[in-house]
This record gives sequence, structure tokens and C-alpha cells, in this order.
Amino acid sequence: MDPQQKPASIGKKILCIEDEHFISELYVRALTRAGYDVTVEVDGQRGLTLAQSNQFDIILLDLMIPTITGIEVLRHLRNPEETPSLKAKVIITTNLEQRDDIRADIEKQADGYIVKAEITPHELVEFIDTIK
Amino acid sequence: MNNFQKYTTQIRSHIVLVLLLNNILFILDWWMVEKVFKLTGYWFFAALLVVPLLSLTILPWLTTRYLTQPTKLIWQAILHIAPDTANVPAPDTKHISIGKDLVVSLISHVYQLASVADTIAKTAEKEESNLSHDFIASSLPLPLFVLSKDDTVVFANKPAAQYINLEQNDIIGQNFYTIVDMAFTNERTFDAWLKDAKANKAVASQTWERVRLNRQDIEQSMQPQFDLAAYYNQGNPEGFETMVVMFDHTNQYSQDDQAMSFVALAVHELRTPLTLLRGYIEAFQEELEGKVSPEMDDFMKKMAVSAGQLSTFVNTILNVSRIDNNQLELQLHKESWPDILQSAVANLRTRAEVRGITLDLKVDGELPIVGVDRVSITEVLTNLVDNAIKYSGTSNKIVLHSYVTREGLVETTVQDFGVGIPESAIPHLFEKFYRNHRNRAQVGGTGLGLYLAKVIVGAHGGHIWVRAHEGEGSTFGFTVLPYTQVAEQGKNGDNESADIVRSAHGWIKNHSMYRR
Repeated sequence: MDPQQKPASIGKKILCIEDEHFISELYVRALTRAGYDVTVEVDGQRGLTLAQSNQFDIILLDLMIPTITGIEVLRHLRNPEETPSLKAKVIITTNLEQRDDIRADIEKQADGYIVKAEITPHELVEFIDTIK
Repeated sequence: MNNFQKYTTQIRSHIVLVLLLNNILFILDWWMVEKVFKLTGYWFFAALLVVPLLSLTILPWLTTRYLTQPTKLIWQAILHIAPDTANVPAPDTKHISIGKDLVVSLISHVYQLASVADTIAKTAEKEESNLSHDFIASSLPLPLFVLSKDDTVVFANKPAAQYINLEQNDIIGQNFYTIVDMAFTNERTFDAWLKDAKANKAVASQTWERVRLNRQDIEQSMQPQFDLAAYYNQGNPEGFETMVVMFDHTNQYSQDDQAMSFVALAVHELRTPLTLLRGYIEAFQEELEGKVSPEMDDFMKKMAVSAGQLSTFVNTILNVSRIDNNQLELQLHKESWPDILQSAVANLRTRAEVRGITLDLKVDGELPIVGVDRVSITEVLTNLVDNAIKYSGTSNKIVLHSYVTREGLVETTVQDFGVGIPESAIPHLFEKFYRNHRNRAQVGGTGLGLYLAKVIVGAHGGHIWVRAHEGEGSTFGFTVLPYTQVAEQGKNGDNESADIVRSAHGWIKNHSMYRR
């Protein structure tokens, strides 16, 4: 947890698109303690606009979110005409189960896929630390 | 003068000739008997009778022979062309004396007729087979499309037209892809297959499951779903290169989807509070560790472990439901087995410790790189260790042991020293919902864990087993294959990816933390 041992986190900006306040609260707490700069957005459309502003290094994207779904956000982010050069890595964070093929398709487009119930906030931080 | 008149004239002149000849013979006979041999009495009459008798038999015989020769030759021609008597030689018209022209013309007519009949028969046969093909194709109660070389629809039966909601006439001549919009469950689409078949194969056939038809007039959730079968025959002389048949399973698949989505929904609803529980418990642990009594520390650990177990169980339910729905897809990667064991044990050790059980890990020597789906094989280890914890009773040790078998497989055993298993229960251990071998009041469990473990190990190409005696603990073991063996089995021509996808039964990776 010592920021000195985790230089990976220094100054890194994370956008957490998540509509469950308790979950974002836990994630913000753990990530901030690890030295990340976290912004939370609950709405899909606004989340997309924020993501396209290209100021983030990592985007944590929930799939079941208001206005537009996480899958749609991901599609917009992966469309080079709408989002020319996204520097952020997009990590899907969800508790939703989909059919294998749909999931494989999402995984292919994303840089990571996390089932939230599988990991604790601390383990999330450990995972994010491994992202370059 | 036609050939028939010629023939009759010839006969007439012949008959006149024969009659004249006969008369001459009679006169000659009478003259010779009377004047030359001067016979009298009985001899006179006898001699007089012999000549007419001879002339009356031989001459008509010769005449008839000449007269019937044409008929014979025509008959021979007919026999020659008849299929049953084809060994009869073709008639030779060289030696015909009377009516040669007529016979030759008649025989040529016979042969002409025969060839006409033959053509008719052949045409009829062809027509008939076309007819029966048409009949089969149109009365087939399944949507059927026939495509030409350039993917144009050259035939579509009525069910096909109904299935895509177009008129039969509007389909013929259209490009197949413009009128039939299909969505496949993976990238091995019909389009891709056909392209490959056209490039590399003379004849090919393929089937697909759970294909979705995108019909503009039907809303998304109600789209027809079907299995698809296609047959390709390059350069079919009739111009029918590709044949496509659809087997509608809309009802079944949408029911599956609903059942599945019910489980998926339940899982989602369970997971959200679980995520929170695990998160807040962790926050408590971080903040309070060492600041509260050791008992409270222990309680927090137990809460964390229980939440983790609940999370495992949710995945077990989900996975069993996937298995039931025949959705198996394992991604077998190159993995270090000790690595997988270490990280699984790190998690499971806490689970054992809160129950006062130590979890030992032994790895014998160097293990080869294995080909496994990391997430699912970890699930197997978790289920076996959870099981061992549950049935440890008063014993306080569980041993995980990994080694290479004589066959070169990597085998791992999970041994507990608890209540053991009665012999009668052993054959049923890996059955779904089987758990009455041990005292139900004493220990909980769903009877799903071992079933799931068996399916997953089986899908890896491995084998799971148990060795136990009542009261003496039990040992569960399973094998996984070295990556080299997995790769050998998975060899199917294209080695573009180092991963091997296994499907046998029904499986979905449900909690992979990382994308590789």
C-alpha cells in the first residue's frame, strides 16, 4: 500500500464508470490510497464523453449503466472515427454474466475483464498496478 | 415406284415364274414317264406322283424362304435392339434377293424408331428425376436454399420463403447474403466457411448451431434461431454449388436463453451485494487489524472467507447451469502448474486456517508446462479443497500433492484425514446433486462441486478419481495434460493461435481476472 513501492500509480488518472455508489466508494478508497487519481461517473453517455476527452490512463467500465450500456460505450471508444486515438486502457468491471461468445467478443475489444464479485478492492488495485 | 410396290411386283413376277416352272415340270414329267421311260401300270402312276410332290414341296419352300426372308431380317433387327435379346446380331441385308429396298428401308426405320424410343426413355427418366428432386425439395418441411457459383439463389422452397418472409419469386436470382442476414455465435461463419470451401475444396459440408436470423420485421428478442447445415459441391454440372438447410430451434433456444438469463440475472443480483460485502470486510480488516481483540480479527477473517466461499458457490451454480445448456468453451493456455497451485493455495489457505486446518503443498520435481484453462482448473482445486475442509472433521491437515505420472501427465491429489467415504457412495460421488454419502446434518454442500470438477477435468482431457475408506479420510486426484500433449490433440491444420479452445459439454469462464 505504500505509494513508494507502487510508482505505477503515480499521477495516473482513472475513470470509473459505475452506477453502484457503494462499489465506486470502495474502489475510489482503495485506488486513491494506492496513489491513483480517480474520477467517478454514473452515467453511460456522460462517461463516454469524459472518456473521449482522453485525459485518463485507465477506464473502469461497468456494463449495466444508465442511458447507454457499457457495451455501447466500449463500441464508441473502439470506433476510430468517433474516438481517434484513445490512450486509456479499458477494463470491463461487471457482475453480469453473458453468453460465452458475447463475453469473448467484449473481452476481445477490452484490455481487461473483471468480475467484481471475484475480487476485493485491494485485488483490483493489484491488477491495475500490472497495467502499463 | 415405292419400295412396297417394288416388293409386290417382285413377288408377283416370282409367283408367275414359279407357276410357269411348275407347269413345265408337270409337262416334262408326264413326257418323260410316258415317252422316255415308257413306264406302265403302277410304276407309271408312282413316277408321275414323285415329281409333282417334289415340286410342290421344294418350290414353295424356296418361295416362302425368299418371301419370308425380309420379315425374318426385320424381326432380327427388332430383336437386336431389344434390351433382352441384344446378343442377336444385326441383320445382314447383303443376301436379300426379293424386296431388298423395302427390307433395308424397314430395318432402318426400326433402328430410327429404336433411337427415338431410347431418347424418349432417357428424357423421361431425366424429367422424372428432376420431378422427384423438385418434389422432395418443395415438400421438404425445412427451409432450403440452393445457391449457384456466385451465391445467387437458384432455388428456394416454400418454407425457406416463409422463413425469411419473402415471396418465392422474389428470392430466386437474388444474392443469398442480401436476403438472408445471419448472425453466428463465433467467427466461424457460413460466409467464412464458404469462402474457404470455394478456395480449397471440391466438396465440403458443415453445420452450425444457434444461428440467429436478423429479420427486420421481428423484434430483436424474437428473431428466429436455428441450426444450419450446408453442402458445397464445386462446379456442380447443374449449377447448384451450395445447398443450405435450416433447422428451426427458435422455441428451444429462446427457452434456453430465458432459463440461462434467469440464472444470469440471479447471479448478477447475488454478486452485487457480495462485491460490497467483500469490499467492506476488507476495508474493516485494513483499518482494524491489530487494533481490535484477536477474537474480532478472527471474526473478520471468517467473514471474509465466508463471503469468498459464497462467491465460489455463485460461480458453481452458474457453471453447472452453463453445462446443462451445453455451452463449453475452455481456452487451454500454456501455464506453469506450480504457479497455478501457489495462487490457488494462497486463497484457500485462509479458508482452511479459519477452521484450524493447515494446507500443505508438495510439488515433486520439475513439472512440465501444462495446457489448462487457468480459471476453470482453479475452480477444480477450490472445489476439492473446499470439500476436504468440509469433511475434515476433527483432523487438522489437508495435503495437496503434485507430481508427474508414468504416462507423463501432471497429477494432483487433495488428501484429507477426516470422516472418509463409505464404499457404497464412491461410484456416485461425481454425480450431480449427490451428497448423501456423508451426514447431511453435519456438513453442508450442494453436491455440485464434484460434478463440476469432473466436467472441467474431463474437458481438459484429464481424469478425476477418488480413493477413500470410511473413517480414514479421502484422497481426490485429477490429471491435466502437458501442453505438448494438448497441442498434439488440438492440431487441426491451423496453428495461428497458441491457445486451444476445448468444447465438450458446457462451460463458461466466469471469473477470469485478467485478459491474456
